[in-house]
Amino acid sequence: MVHALREAHRVLRPDGALIDLRPEPEHRRIGLGEGRSWRLVGVTRESLDMDHAADRAVVQVLRAGLFSRGTRARFLVEREMDAMEDFVAWLTDCGQRRMLATHRWLIRRLRRALAARAARIVARGPVRLQLLRKLG
Amino acid sequence: MAITVDPQERELRALERVGRWRGRRILEIGCGDGRLTLRLARLGARVLAIDPDAGQVRAARAALPRRYAARIQYRVGSGERLPYHAREFDAVVFAWAL
Repeated sequence: MVHALREAHRVLRPDGALIDLRPEPEHRRIGLGEGRSWRLVGVTRESLDMDHAADRAVVQVLRAGLFSRGTRARFLVEREMDAMEDFVAWLTDCGQRRMLATHRWLIRRLRRALAARAARIVARGPVRLQLLRKLG
Repeated sequence: MAITVDPQERELRALERVGRWRGRRILEIGCGDGRLTLRLARLGARVLAIDPDAGQVRAARAALPRRYAARIQYRVGSGERLPYHAREFDAVVFAWAL
């Protein structure tokens, strides 16, 4: 990760911006419905190790004087899924990178909730945007 | 079946707030299927978008709307080794990729 940040520094023009956009190191909340009708069904259990490693890499390049810290924002991003198949596909994809548990319990709970109420499955989680300004 | 990420476009609004994008040359690292790439192009940026997954890059190319074709280039590549000149880009975006 530090190497990728150093490469980004190299290809940036002087005073260029590095935008680090990624989920906050938090477990995502899974629910049914959109907007105000959203109801929590369960919370994922994910490995946050990679997120913390990325945070450490950013601190390292800041300390090395490659970048200065700029604007930072945090906002909620939703992933809406039409069907249980979409949710399972998303879990499988995430499972290769960050999910620790199989989440069979969550799939069962969602199936029960969907039987009682037809709605889209919505995963919610905070996302961070951080701007780093190139120095040197 | 369909998955929609960030239907409220909060990412786009956050990107709009942090700077000017029109005409800027952007390197996007970890573009995946090009979801964020299209949003950067909508802001007026010229984007070179890379991802190590050749399948994702193929999918992104196939889904590239004609109106953005002059502003977006997709390539297979990794952030760890960038085959580009020094000082070539106005901004580098790590799209859920760091």
